[in-house]
Amino acid sequence: MEARETVICIGCPLGCRVTVLQDKKGNVTGFKGADCKQGQKYVLDELKNPVRTLTATVRTGDEGYPLLPVRTSRPVLKVLMRPIMRETAKVTARPPVKAGDVIVKNVAKSRADIIATADWPGPGGEG
Amino acid sequence: MANKVDVAVIGAGPAGLAAAIAAREQGAEKVLIIERAEQLGGLLPQCIHNGFGLEYFERDMTGPEYEKAFVERAMGLGVETQLETMVIDLDGERGITAVSRKHGYMKFKPGAVVLAMGCRERSRGAVGIPGTRPAGVLTAGTCQRFVNIEGYMPGSRYVVLGSGDIGMIMARRLTLEGAKVEAVVEIMPWPGGLIRNEVQCLHDFGIPLLLEHTVSFVHGEKRVEGVSVCRVDAERRPIGGSERFIPCDCLLISAGLIPENELSRRAGVELDPVTGGPVVDESRQTSVPGVFAGGNVVQVHDLVDWVSREAELAGRSAAAFADKGRLKPAGGVKVVPGESIRYVVPHTISGREDVSLHMRVTRPGLKATVKVGGVASKRFRSVRPSEMIVIDLKGDALKEAGTGGELTVDCRMKEGD
Repeated sequence: MEARETVICIGCPLGCRVTVLQDKKGNVTGFKGADCKQGQKYVLDELKNPVRTLTATVRTGDEGYPLLPVRTSRPVLKVLMRPIMRETAKVTARPPVKAGDVIVKNVAKSRADIIATADWPGPGGEG
Repeated sequence: MANKVDVAVIGAGPAGLAAAIAAREQGAEKVLIIERAEQLGGLLPQCIHNGFGLEYFERDMTGPEYEKAFVERAMGLGVETQLETMVIDLDGERGITAVSRKHGYMKFKPGAVVLAMGCRERSRGAVGIPGTRPAGVLTAGTCQRFVNIEGYMPGSRYVVLGSGDIGMIMARRLTLEGAKVEAVVEIMPWPGGLIRNEVQCLHDFGIPLLLEHTVSFVHGEKRVEGVSVCRVDAERRPIGGSERFIPCDCLLISAGLIPENELSRRAGVELDPVTGGPVVDESRQTSVPGVFAGGNVVQVHDLVDWVSREAELAGRSAAAFADKGRLKPAGGVKVVPGESIRYVVPHTISGREDVSLHMRVTRPGLKATVKVGGVASKRFRSVRPSEMIVIDLKGDALKEAGTGGELTVDCRMKEGD
């Protein structure tokens, strides 16, 4: 018996629905619906190891600038998105912060950091 | 107050910043951005998600990161800014009237003007949804500001009307913040936003996308208590008997963007009824000499990267106009949208220079061929109304082919999406 799984490729605007054919042991035996190499690579990654860049905000405690925008320093496993949100929600950032500064190290043991994506205070001193 | 300004840019969003930078780099001495908000960047600060800059910087950036890159360049070049200043009039001779709490009433007569006012969201009134008028109906962008800037959650259970990118991005954001998004409801048979947003914002979180559906009624007296959702027929009319009730306390509207052209109208700038933006030539000059336009005020772009590029072109042209006091309109050849093409920008080209045509199709299709008169043709594996098509034309090819004063752009395609 062959296992099949379908993934929508987002490599280009085409949005191919790609079916991955696997044998009993889970080895990939072929693709249906993807005729490009990049698409096949994306689909394999998406099946075995789906990752996303997660963006969020952290509290600042500053009334005039209540939230600091943040992101993961690299794409993280999809299943870690919620644990990362929960851990990030507990944090309060302290000024001054520069975009790229680490706010939470190795967040939810993802091996990615939560980093700021804006300066606080900003260029005009706002925030 | 006499203010000698070479290039005045109205709006400090991604278009205004890029236009001002380009005008300075082109040699304009004094470039002034006039912005009604209290900070630069337009909507970029509230767009905390990634996906910006892939074309422009070849890097995946968030909105605030993209903004920072442009603000730093503008400041480094000595672009001047006037914040919390509202332009209340633009006349047909480039005369700007503006007001601010700090400086009061001001008049400027810049050498050239760049319109970079961007666009605004279609509201409940513009969409026309029957029902009561309770609290809890807001546009996706307003909700984005509440959640990402102010730190408020406007509700706990949402329905999103329209599958524009901001709507899908907010569906994900609200879900990650602990809310429940019951459905995204789209009247058309295809999603309004990008594929990557459909996958990463909806599929990732199991949020249903109801195509060929609409919200037929808003329920609730003081607060939204739910919405009626129904299927629509081929004419987009509700199908009787297909209604069902979805309980929610918030209805987000993400049903399209409208270029913001009140000032353009006051100046007598000719507008295109399809794009809602100014009719422009290949230098992005409008029908009013010395008034240029770039970004979402001209056409609603799918990616901010294209906004920046178009505004740079407008900024460079404005600097050239300010320098010489004139810029010959590049308008020898009319570009006409033909089969399955909704619009093409620019509306006129010189027919001699290299130029990029930006366009959108009217419907999705596969194995599409876009033909630009007898000058160029380009094949696409698929085309969608939500994704802009860009075709680069060579000046030599244009001269050689000859255009007879008009170029029609057609798209032939097979059905399917």
